[in-house]
Amino acid sequence: MAIEIKNLTKRFGDFTALSGLNLNIADGELVALLGPSGSGKTTLLRIIGGLEQAEEGEVIVDGANAGTVDIRDRRVGFVFQHYALFRHMTVFDNIAFGLRVRPRNERPGKDEISKRVHDLLKLVQLERLAPRYPGQLSGGQRQRVALARALAIEPKVLLLDEPFGALDAQVRRDLRRWLRRLHDEIKLTSVFVTHDQEEALEVADRVVVMNHGKIEQVGTPVDVYHRPATPFVYAFLGDTNVFHGRLEDGSPVLVGGEPPSEKQETARMYVRPHLMDIEHDRASVESVPAKVMHINAAGPTVKVELETPLGEAIMVELTQDRFLELKLERGTEVFATPRQQQLFKKDDYVI
Amino acid sequence: MAGIVTKQAKAGARRARGPRTPAQIGLVLIATVFLVVFLLLPLVVVFSEALSKGLGLYFAAITEPEAMNAIKLTLIAAGIAVPLNTLFGLGASWALAKFEFKGKSFLLSLIDLPFSVSPVVAGLIFVLLYGTQGFLGEWLADNRIRVIFAVPGIVLATMFITFPFVARELIPLMQQQGNDEELAARSLGASGWQIFRRVTLPNIKWGVLYGVILCNARAMGEFGAVSVVSGHIRGKTNTLPLHVEILYNEYQFAAAFACASLLALLALITLALKSFIEWRGHSGS
Repeated sequence: MAIEIKNLTKRFGDFTALSGLNLNIADGELVALLGPSGSGKTTLLRIIGGLEQAEEGEVIVDGANAGTVDIRDRRVGFVFQHYALFRHMTVFDNIAFGLRVRPRNERPGKDEISKRVHDLLKLVQLERLAPRYPGQLSGGQRQRVALARALAIEPKVLLLDEPFGALDAQVRRDLRRWLRRLHDEIKLTSVFVTHDQEEALEVADRVVVMNHGKIEQVGTPVDVYHRPATPFVYAFLGDTNVFHGRLEDGSPVLVGGEPPSEKQETARMYVRPHLMDIEHDRASVESVPAKVMHINAAGPTVKVELETPLGEAIMVELTQDRFLELKLERGTEVFATPRQQQLFKKDDYVI
Repeated sequence: MAGIVTKQAKAGARRARGPRTPAQIGLVLIATVFLVVFLLLPLVVVFSEALSKGLGLYFAAITEPEAMNAIKLTLIAAGIAVPLNTLFGLGASWALAKFEFKGKSFLLSLIDLPFSVSPVVAGLIFVLLYGTQGFLGEWLADNRIRVIFAVPGIVLATMFITFPFVARELIPLMQQQGNDEELAARSLGASGWQIFRRVTLPNIKWGVLYGVILCNARAMGEFGAVSVVSGHIRGKTNTLPLHVEILYNEYQFAAAFACASLLALLALITLALKSFIEWRGHSGS
C-alpha cells in the first residue's frame, strides 16, 4: 500500500524530532530511512506505525488518514529494534499471538492458526524451533521470529526498526540479502531504519537520508551515492576527504596545501578515498604535498593515510597493483591528487 | 598473562575450599554466633516454650474460643487487605512504570509513606479520622457505623501498613522490563486487557506472588497500628499478635508462646515460599 507523508512535525518538549517532513512511498517499495542517531528516522517510523503521534501533518496509508484509524485495524507489521519477543511464550505462541488476539468473529480456528504459523516458520526457515523460548535462540533467529510474528497479521505495510543492528557482521550480511528476497516474494510495502549506509544501499529500492529531523535527499542507492545533493549526504555515505578552496569563474581552485583564509574560501571539494591518486611528482595544480603516515595493505585495496604539512589527514585507497608500482613506505614524501570530486559551494554547507 | 590467570584460578579454588586465615575464621565465627543468637535461638525458644506444658495444652491454647476468634480476625483482616493491596499494587506499578505523567514522583513517595510512618502513628491517624471525637466521627455515629475499636478499623489499619508491598516489588521489575513487549502486542492488534493478561501479567507473575506473600506476612503479623485501633476487646477485636500480648501480660506463658508459634510457623512458611518463588522466578526467566 502506498504511504503518503505530509508536512509531518514532531516535538519532544523543546526538541524538534521531525520538522515539516514530506515523503511518498509507492506500493511494494522497499525504502530505507538512513541517518545518524538523533536524525529522527526511528521517530518517523514509529509515527508511520502508529506507535507515536505527530503534532502536525498527516500520514496517509492507502488513501486513508492513518491517524484516525485505530492501531489495531491498521495492519502494520512492526519489527522492533531489540525484537521485543514475548519472553514467556514459545516461538509458536509468539507468532500466533496476532491471530489469537483477534475478536472472536475474525479469529481463525485452531487448526488454521497452526497451519499459518507453520507456513511462516517455513518462510523464515525456523520450522524446528517452534517449541523453543526466545531466550534459547540466537540473535539472528530471534530476528526472524520477530519478522514472522509481524507477518502473521498479514500486514499491508512492514516497518523494521534497525532490523540488523544487534547482529554480528556475517549474520547481518546474510540476513539482509534474505530480507531483500523475502520482500520481493511476499510483495508488501516495507520501510526500514538503519544507520549503516552499506545496508541501506544494498537492500533498498530507495534511500531517504535524514539529518536533524529533516530529509536531506531521497533517491535510488545509485542516486544518493553518485549524485549526493548535500555535503552531509556525501559525507554520510562513505569515507570522505574535504579540501577547502575558492571558486574562480565557476571552477574550483585549490592551491596545493595552502588553505584559503575564512574569507577567501568559497567552496569545498569532497573526494572519496578511492578517487584519490598518489604520485611521486606534482601532477596538477590540485595536487597536495603530503607524507605517508600509515599503510594498511590487508584487504582488496590498500588504505594509505597521508598527512599534509599543515597536519591534515588525507585517506587514499589504492589498488594493490598501483601500490606495488609506487613502492610506498612510511615517511615517503608524495603528492595526493583528486581524480574526481564533488564540489559544494559555500551556500550548500553553511548550516 | 597466563601466569595471572592461573594465580586467579588458584585463589578461587582456595576460597571455595573454605576459610583459612585467622581473620577469615574469625569473621565466619562472628557471623555464625549472630545468626544463632538472634535468629535461630529465638525460633527454638518459641517452639520449646509453646510445647513446654505438653502437646495437649498446646492445642487447647490455640483452639480455645478467644484464640480461635483472634485467628479468624487475623485471617479476615489479611483476607481483605492482601487482595485489595495486590490490585492496587498492580495498578500503581503499571501506571508508574509504563507511563510518564505529572506528579509521578509524588505518587511514588506517597506509596512509600506507610514504610516511613511509625505504625503507632498510623493507628492514631485512623483514630483521629474515624474515632468518636474524630473528623468523621459524628457522621459515622449518626449512621451507626463503628470503625474504631471494631473490625473495619483493624482492616483499614492493616491495609495502610501493607499498602506498599506489592507495588514496591513490581515497580522496579516493570521498569526494567520496559514497554517493548506491550508495544509489540499493541502493534499486533491486542486490546489493553489482552496486553495486560497475556503479556504484562505473565512477565511479572513471580514478582506479584513474591509481593503478595510479603504483604500477607506483614498483614498477619502487624501489631502497632492494629493495637491502637482495636481497643483489645477479647474475643471481638483481638488479632493474633494482640492475643499473644494479652496472654503474655497475664503470665500465661505457654499459651502465649503457643499462639506465637503459629505466627512463627507463618514466618517459616513465608520464607520457604519466598525462596521457592525466587528460585522459580530466576529459572523461569
